[in-house]
Amino acid sequence: MKNPPQSPMSREDLIASLTGDLTPVKRIKPAEGIALIVFATLVAAVASIAIYEWWDGLLTGEASGYFLITHGFLLVLGAASTAALVSSSMPRVGARANAPMWSAIALAILPIGAILSLLSGQGNHAHEGLNDPVAFLCTSASLSAGALVLVAAVLWLRRGAPVSIERSAWLAGLAAGSLGTLAYGITCPLDTFSHVGIWHVAPVAIGAVFARIVVPPLIRW
Amino acid sequence: MVADEPTFARLMAATQDGDKAAGNVLLSEVGVWLERYFRRRVPPHSIDDLVQDVLIAFYTKRATWDPGRPFLPWLAAIARYRWVDHLRKVYKHESKELMEDDAVEDSEEEVVLARVSLDRLFGQLPEKQAEVIEMVKIGGLSIREAAEKTGQSESLVKVNIHRGLKKMASLVEKAD
Repeated sequence: MKNPPQSPMSREDLIASLTGDLTPVKRIKPAEGIALIVFATLVAAVASIAIYEWWDGLLTGEASGYFLITHGFLLVLGAASTAALVSSSMPRVGARANAPMWSAIALAILPIGAILSLLSGQGNHAHEGLNDPVAFLCTSASLSAGALVLVAAVLWLRRGAPVSIERSAWLAGLAAGSLGTLAYGITCPLDTFSHVGIWHVAPVAIGAVFARIVVPPLIRW
Repeated sequence: MVADEPTFARLMAATQDGDKAAGNVLLSEVGVWLERYFRRRVPPHSIDDLVQDVLIAFYTKRATWDPGRPFLPWLAAIARYRWVDHLRKVYKHESKELMEDDAVEDSEEEVVLARVSLDRLFGQLPEKQAEVIEMVKIGGLSIREAAEKTGQSESLVKVNIHRGLKKMASLVEKAD
């Protein structure tokens, strides 16, 4: 399209100039948005495996219940926020999906539980709690993986027409944080409650806040 | 007469497929619909600017309409987004002006804010904020005059207007 003329030209002139070079458009389909986010997550997972190696314990039954529950919650939050994110890129009015909010609340129970268990003195290993020596690695690797998902989310939102910018930014952050952590998490052999409950959830909160601040100017239209 | 939902949907589908004649009719009809939409939301002299703004946004984002979904809610969502964006710019302008100068100047933006469902919005503001916004932004009093009338200090009047306008913009943005 040529540069659309701005006011104060007449509306008739504006319409004539807009339709003068009207061409067919490819309709945006929600499934394409979901596929893009899933693809970015898979790329992040493959990159994580290439760098940190796959953890066999996932398949041998060695992984603790806490590990499986935490990453199950991350998967649910990632799916809910991705579906809501893709939906938010298509203008509409009316009911909004609140599944991401409830999924995030469910996930938030884990760090609360982990901190309570630490306070009660149940954590005895070096890699447990707030002094966890690999906390930085898990958090930064999860955020790096999440950055790939965030880029995909922003590209999708820019292609669409989000009409609730702040909400879309939150959703992009939740999707990036949860799916990024999930992509990295499959390589992490530390499966204690305090480790996964805190350091595999923190990137979700960090990602959501980061996206809320950074994404709006990128998707405003 | 404004076109109905099935007519809009048919024209929109043809426009997405590149039909120029359908595009012309559709944009004209959308313009009429938008005029009605904004009539209750902005002063008459601002309507045409906003309609043209939405027409450009509508044209640019036409690929985001799904023929399987109703057309008018899609259009209304775009119109509302551009309206809220307009209010956000108004708020920024107002806030900057308030911090720079005590004098109150008439501007179309003030009128816009002043006319946006004021009763409903004022009902959700603390009384002191609503009172000074009404005096300064609608009544045209200066900050000093409003301070004398309400017994608030001039700084407090400024702060109350600032917070009140911010809350109003936030209320408008959150409303569905």
